[in-house]
Amino acid sequence: MNLARRAAGLLLSTVLLPLSALAAEPQPTHEFRLDNGLKVIVREDHRAPVVVSQVWYKVGSSYETPGKTGLSHALEHMMFKGSNKVGPGEASLILRDLGAQENAFTSDDYTAYYQVLARDRLGVAFELEADRMASLRLPPEEFKREIEVIKEERRLRTDDQPMSKAYELFSAMAFPSSGYHTPTIGWMVDLERMSVGELRAWYEEWYAPNNATLVVVGDVTPDEVKALAQRYFGPVPKREIPVAKIPLELPTPGERLLKIHVQTQLPSLMLGFNVPSIATAKDPITANALRLISALLDGGYSARMPTQLERGEELVSGASSSYNAFTRGDSLFMLSAMPNSQKKVTMAQAEAGLWRLLDDLKKTPPTTEELERVRAQVIAGLVYERDSITSQATSIGQLETVGLSWKLMDSELADLQKVTPADIQQAARTYFTRERLSVAHVLPEEKTHE
Amino acid sequence: MSERKGPRYALLGLSAAVLVGALGYFFANPDQSVASQALDKAKTEQKLQSLAELDGKAPSHRALNVQTWKTAEGSKVLFVEARELPMFDLRLTFAAGSSQDDNTPGLALLTNAMLNEGVAGKDVGAIAQGFEGLGADFGNGAYRDMAVASLRSLSDVDKRTPALNLFAEVVGKPTFPADSLARIKNQLLASFEFQKQNPGKLASDELFKRLYGDHPYAHASDGNAQSITSITIDQLKAFHNKAYTAGNAVIAIVGDLSRAEAEAIAAQVSAALPKGPSVAKTVQPSEPKPGATHIEFPSKQTHLLVSQLGIDRDDPDYAALALGNSILGGGGFGTRLMTEVREKRGLTYGVYSGFSPMQARGPFMINLQTRAELSEGTLKLVQDILADYLKNGPTQKELDDAKRELAGSFPLSTASNSAIVGQLGAMGFYDLPLDYLETFMQKSQDLTTDQVKAAMNKHLSADKMVVVTAGPTVPQKPLPPPTDKPSEQPLGVPEH
Repeated sequence: MNLARRAAGLLLSTVLLPLSALAAEPQPTHEFRLDNGLKVIVREDHRAPVVVSQVWYKVGSSYETPGKTGLSHALEHMMFKGSNKVGPGEASLILRDLGAQENAFTSDDYTAYYQVLARDRLGVAFELEADRMASLRLPPEEFKREIEVIKEERRLRTDDQPMSKAYELFSAMAFPSSGYHTPTIGWMVDLERMSVGELRAWYEEWYAPNNATLVVVGDVTPDEVKALAQRYFGPVPKREIPVAKIPLELPTPGERLLKIHVQTQLPSLMLGFNVPSIATAKDPITANALRLISALLDGGYSARMPTQLERGEELVSGASSSYNAFTRGDSLFMLSAMPNSQKKVTMAQAEAGLWRLLDDLKKTPPTTEELERVRAQVIAGLVYERDSITSQATSIGQLETVGLSWKLMDSELADLQKVTPADIQQAARTYFTRERLSVAHVLPEEKTHE
Repeated sequence: MSERKGPRYALLGLSAAVLVGALGYFFANPDQSVASQALDKAKTEQKLQSLAELDGKAPSHRALNVQTWKTAEGSKVLFVEARELPMFDLRLTFAAGSSQDDNTPGLALLTNAMLNEGVAGKDVGAIAQGFEGLGADFGNGAYRDMAVASLRSLSDVDKRTPALNLFAEVVGKPTFPADSLARIKNQLLASFEFQKQNPGKLASDELFKRLYGDHPYAHASDGNAQSITSITIDQLKAFHNKAYTAGNAVIAIVGDLSRAEAEAIAAQVSAALPKGPSVAKTVQPSEPKPGATHIEFPSKQTHLLVSQLGIDRDDPDYAALALGNSILGGGGFGTRLMTEVREKRGLTYGVYSGFSPMQARGPFMINLQTRAELSEGTLKLVQDILADYLKNGPTQKELDDAKRELAGSFPLSTASNSAIVGQLGAMGFYDLPLDYLETFMQKSQDLTTDQVKAAMNKHLSADKMVVVTAGPTVPQKPLPPPTDKPSEQPLGVPEH
């Protein structure tokens, strides 16, 4: 797939643009709330007789405290281990028999569960999801085995993956004051001492209808979804939820450097700047300017990083930028690069190359042509994203769960068009500074000579 | 077959790893579910109301009107009109994968990766600007059987026409500039270095060597440092002339186009390609020597691969094997492997088995990772599960469940344009009939436990497996005992 829209961090999906822009009927989207506080968003997509149902909880690793890291993710695993109406693993077997795809994911800001299935079986997804929202069992003997699976997951995805391991430590350094410090899977020492009682408490604290959003996209009508949602989720009682404070960072924590030696042959480099998100920026223009900067740097093979660093100067074998504007709290603007080892490029030279790109943004506003190219990709991306009901639902769920509105998708193009070349320059000058910078040098392990 | 795309994307594995870290953790790979046998005694007195209310019929699915024809130059075209979204997908599939490398491993992949590096009057930057300025996505990739070039664009004629013109140039008349070749070679060399930290990749490369010996599937699609370094521009041009011909191409089109428009697109693309016939089919491999190989690697986990030659795409047993495999270890939870290895013992995050039918016989493979000190016991457990399954076959209930699952998931397989264009590409490439999906479904529904068992035993033998492990050598520990809770069947799903 084209990295452009991803790298741009554009949370695009089915946006309701004027017909002239898209030449397609917009998909109707409906929003309502049950009496117990569960928010429901339904988007109609009648291309095929299928539907996706997602439940998003406002809890994730950024809500966790030291010593209790990994609770949200472990709870996600245990959500498959039985509730009032089904035994451990049984819901999955039922869904499998029905030909459904199901999955769950945890991040720093959210925990979400989803099923994709033929439209006539939506009620089963709702009934199972509502049952575990209300009555999770958490059997201790299941936890005993499942925590071993989670440790295997950690070994597979972090401990034996040099870049993931480096990224985990980098994040811990780059977010000194907020919960984004915490790796979602949890530190191994905390997994070793996690108890099922902690998971019970975590579940009771956060898993309530008034802390969740139900998103349904597919071949359904709002009325049928409303009736089903009322029937299955309606009886789940509302509960008081703790106040979740927004993760805020020090604006200018000072320059930080991490040198880490890992099992790798090739060195690589990460730069991260502490920046606001759409949710925390005083003016959303700031965050949208940063999104455009990420698109200018890495929004496709014609963007600046591939053009100048990968092909022009051949300083890097690969490089990328990323910025997630849609977080609950403050965010990070990331650059990463692998120095071109075939050309004997050093870490310092690659780092200087990244800085040249950032300094260019400060000095010279981007050309109209360059911005038009980004705009063309945004417009097309709005259409392409509509090919997947899952990505439409995910965009809606993510926006809602980080405290924004799904309606932001509607104004995507307009919001980006409000950003002027001067705004981009201003954002670069404000945020790409040493006081906001974390650097990681990821290096091969040193051989000791005896 | 390989997961590899172009070298650029391979290298971006670096950044991908970083991004994934930020995205959160999927609970398991393909589908989720947890088939624990440790069901609580007290459970399921209350039936699920929603299940009881299902009418038991197989769900409806989006009907596909697949149209097919040949272009004047001999390309096979498959087309599905889909007017809902103002976009289209075009996917060209060539028999131009690494099985056509001959004695130059990596030639097919490098040719594919160089397509969009230069055309007459445009360098790589201008090509990228051309596509991206239109909001069009160009994609490419080379695998063992096939090489792919694809375009996704808005269907509006102002966007469509220039995007198609550029695409036709890129696939039909690439210039293979020398500076790009040098750069991409360097990127591939860097990716080989990067792969050295990946025990899973090392194990997989070794397994293909062991399975295929001197067969064209034996080497990885990206070749090796020595072969890549030696590849010349003339070789790329010769390969392009031989393998990117109209006669060797399948053109799949899905989207907001009329039949006439689709015909015009196919004609334009086909005319732009070199003239020529299809290449010779890949020969069948000979039987590998069973046995185990270990790769020493300083990781925390050991990667385990258990494999044997499987089937080619024309094999009449495919439906029986696919269904049989879905019970053994295909997909996610509820399979025998996942239940025994993960759910009852907590030994792994995921264990999967699968057949990969290819033009010649592709592999059957079981793969998993576990902590190093339990790797020997886990390997034995997996082999025992396989042997037991082959010996006794699936139960009637397992088979019924697998059939129901297949019927239920069928609507998902044609729900999006991208899913449809992928199906069309495979149908065209492997010469499958237009009603292939429906026929496969029907055939699967008619199978009996004996037929599935017989097919599995015809193609697999527990004592003929090729095994590759990668991890550290450490003192071994015995496996933890499995949960002793009696297994309990899930709630009944209505028959259909």
